[in-house]
Amino acid sequence: MLTAILHRRRKAAREAAEAAKLAGKSAGEIAEATHRVYGVRLLIAGLLWVSVFLIARGLLAMDVGSSWVRAGIALVPVPFFVWYLMTWTKGVAQMDELERRIELEALGFAFPAALVLLMTLGLLDVAITLNPDDFSVRHIWAMLPLLYYVGLWRAKARYQ
Amino acid sequence: MKNRLKVLRAERDWSQQDLANHLGVSRQTINAIETEKYDPSLPLAMKIGKLFGQCVEKIFTLEE
Repeated sequence: MLTAILHRRRKAAREAAEAAKLAGKSAGEIAEATHRVYGVRLLIAGLLWVSVFLIARGLLAMDVGSSWVRAGIALVPVPFFVWYLMTWTKGVAQMDELERRIELEALGFAFPAALVLLMTLGLLDVAITLNPDDFSVRHIWAMLPLLYYVGLWRAKARYQ
Repeated sequence: MKNRLKVLRAERDWSQQDLANHLGVSRQTINAIETEKYDPSLPLAMKIGKLFGQCVEKIFTLEE
């Protein structure tokens, strides 16, 4: 059903771009319309990925099935994340040069920040043995997108 | 890098959004170029030159 919805959206976006060209709309207006379509698509892909992750997390917390079934459930969110990533990549391809630079600077901040975070937590774990209920990988990964958004905010502020 | 983009835009009575629409970039990009926080790529600079009918060196000048 979702594929059908996305197919319809894609078709609608193509038709809108054609109509915009015929109506004599500028390159900027067409780009803005394309941005909006990708924004909606990214939101749908992101919400779907997070929903599937939360469902998988909930099922695993209920301790159901054999270890093979549980491993399968743990892998279910991966294709949804890949889809989200592909949507994001397509969105980046539609961006102008400054927007791409902002994305790059955001990642340029997020990667070293993630490295420092993991290094420090690793050292703290050796020093004082961190509580795995608070500082295991299953909690820390969620901090990495936050670092990206901090990087995005910093980069956007720099060019405003 | 200094530029005369704001002056050229004002001469045509265009808003930043108008110029962005002509060039196919975001308004934020135009603002960042005008406030000299961002130097455009060579293709974009040439596109700007073509739009205003001037060579790139007359719009963008390197600061010594």
